[in-house]
Amino acid sequence: MSDTGALLSTRGVMRDLGAHIVGACFDRRGLQCAFGLGDGSVHLAQGDDWQRSEAHDGAVLALCPDVFDTGFLSAGDDGVLQRIQSDGVAARVFSTGGKWIEQVTSFAEARGGVIACAVGKQAHLFDGANTKLKTLTHPSTVTGLAFDAKGKRLAASHYNGASLWYVSAKTDTPRVLEWKGSHTGIALHPAAEAVVTSMQENALHGWRLADGQHMRMTGYPAKSESLGFTRNGRWLASSGADSIVLWPFFGGGPMGKPPVEMAQIEGILCTRVACHPKDELVAAGFGDGTVLVAQIATRRVVIIAEAGGDPVSALCWSPDGGRLAFGTEGGRAVLVDLSAR
Amino acid sequence: MSESLVPVTVLTGFLGAGKTTLLNRILTENHGKRYAVVINEFGELGVDNDLVVDADEEVFEMNNGCICCTVRGDLIRIVGALMKRAKKFDGIIVETTGLANPAPVAQTFFVDEGVRAKTRLDAIVTVVDAKNLPARLADSAEAAAQIAFADVIVLNKLDLVSGGEADEVERRIRAINPAVRIIRSTRADVPVDEILHQNAFDLARILQFDPDFLEQDEHGHTEGLYSVSFAVEREVDMQKFQQWMGTLLQEKGADILRTKGILAVEGDPRRFAFQAVHMMADGDFIGPWPEGTPRHSRLVFIGRDLNRPQLRRGFEACQVAA
Repeated sequence: MSDTGALLSTRGVMRDLGAHIVGACFDRRGLQCAFGLGDGSVHLAQGDDWQRSEAHDGAVLALCPDVFDTGFLSAGDDGVLQRIQSDGVAARVFSTGGKWIEQVTSFAEARGGVIACAVGKQAHLFDGANTKLKTLTHPSTVTGLAFDAKGKRLAASHYNGASLWYVSAKTDTPRVLEWKGSHTGIALHPAAEAVVTSMQENALHGWRLADGQHMRMTGYPAKSESLGFTRNGRWLASSGADSIVLWPFFGGGPMGKPPVEMAQIEGILCTRVACHPKDELVAAGFGDGTVLVAQIATRRVVIIAEAGGDPVSALCWSPDGGRLAFGTEGGRAVLVDLSAR
Repeated sequence: MSESLVPVTVLTGFLGAGKTTLLNRILTENHGKRYAVVINEFGELGVDNDLVVDADEEVFEMNNGCICCTVRGDLIRIVGALMKRAKKFDGIIVETTGLANPAPVAQTFFVDEGVRAKTRLDAIVTVVDAKNLPARLADSAEAAAQIAFADVIVLNKLDLVSGGEADEVERRIRAINPAVRIIRSTRADVPVDEILHQNAFDLARILQFDPDFLEQDEHGHTEGLYSVSFAVEREVDMQKFQQWMGTLLQEKGADILRTKGILAVEGDPRRFAFQAVHMMADGDFIGPWPEGTPRHSRLVFIGRDLNRPQLRRGFEACQVAA
């Protein structure tokens, strides 16, 4: 698959949305893909059908799928958490009166699911009907939120570590995972074996949950702003180097081992990674606009978008892994169908 | 290159000095520019075209073994998010709480690559209450630090003091920070263009405000913070200088708040400008020496417990052999 121009023109849809693309995600059924922008708009894309929703008076700061089959949740620097329905209509879930909502994530289940958003030091939890379930207070500003695979626990990153909460506990006392410094994002192992945070100091820090063992993952030339586990939890993929950096989470974990680096583009920073929802494949976006997909076992790389654009700032897979969406700082949004035909 | 970077002005000053009045003036004056203002609590700010961001000052230590290397994590996040907005800003103004030490704000601009890539520290502006400054200097270490770090000082509430008192306050400010530009005001009535877009951290502007300040050699050691300055006549051996300065800042960086210098480097016709905030240093060549000025290297330290003879000997030893 070297004819990448053909790949994008025959299987891709591209739009210039005109502002920094902050985030992208698919809805839970994988029908629509949403792009959240620095001009406050959220764009919903399904094949050639794209629509624009004026979601925020300001900028979108975070975006995630809704707890329902379709629709999205977007958080803005206008202090509003919006539900964007599949028809593009925005409905307010929650408003802070102005204080930024910097994170939003959700967990879906048959009974309705849970929404978590971060406002300063607090994480607010809502059910699908916008009823506030609880507020969890942290020692400092929450910089990342993630539910575990079963939706039972919520992990939050902040200064000097992370907090792990039981969502439905009667009394809210977190398990505090301590490590000095500024933690800027968080990922949870799919089998809840570990919590990993990105740090200000060009490093990742992990805690093995069974025994609290620390895991230090260092050596990045830049901040790692994007990280995620493969579906089976064997690998943690991360940005922050001129390749995809993969840490092994099998055979005792990453401690004392060098990471695997694949899909290197010399001198160009990998800015976003997204692990395939089923297979051991990792998509990566780079500072020069390159987007590629790499297979971990074979290190085989397929280029999806050639260099020549601005930095990739958003990247995601559809839930079935058949489509890939990405966006750039300059506002280029692309939806590519990679499924077998 | 620096043209495309958004300038950031840090506004410090004790509670009641007139910081909010000055901020209001900046925001309401009809200057046709658009600013983002980072404040600690929503006040009665007259905001029209501008954006006000409510933030908690969150200072943390970098894990780099340097205890004085503290940065503002909230600023890193906020600046990152502001840069994604579609409507760009002409500048960002960061208001600190009255008791804040300005070092973490300044150091944030040395430490974080993301912040450096999009913004530049323009100036630290400190609002001072002419009447109460002597008392503040006596009872708070932060007051002296705010003066030591300032590029511009607004000497406010002049209607409450006599001309003699004002001169005395100015003398005490200069004893701590001889290079600072002092603007006298009554109700923070200072033209906005005297405060914003100063380029005070631009290496090319270092030591430019007052070429004579090195001749002044007055010390008010009572505040604990003071400045010492040196000049050497022979060219500087860059390798020796970097070694000396590196070790000096490593060992004494906690006590040395700010360092600025202009160097005549051996074998290079250009001026080399140097600056540091505690242990964070930055330096580059900034073009030729002005016509007719001697190629003398100059260095200023602002800090506490500065060993003048030792610093002088250290600087002198960086010269090429006579």
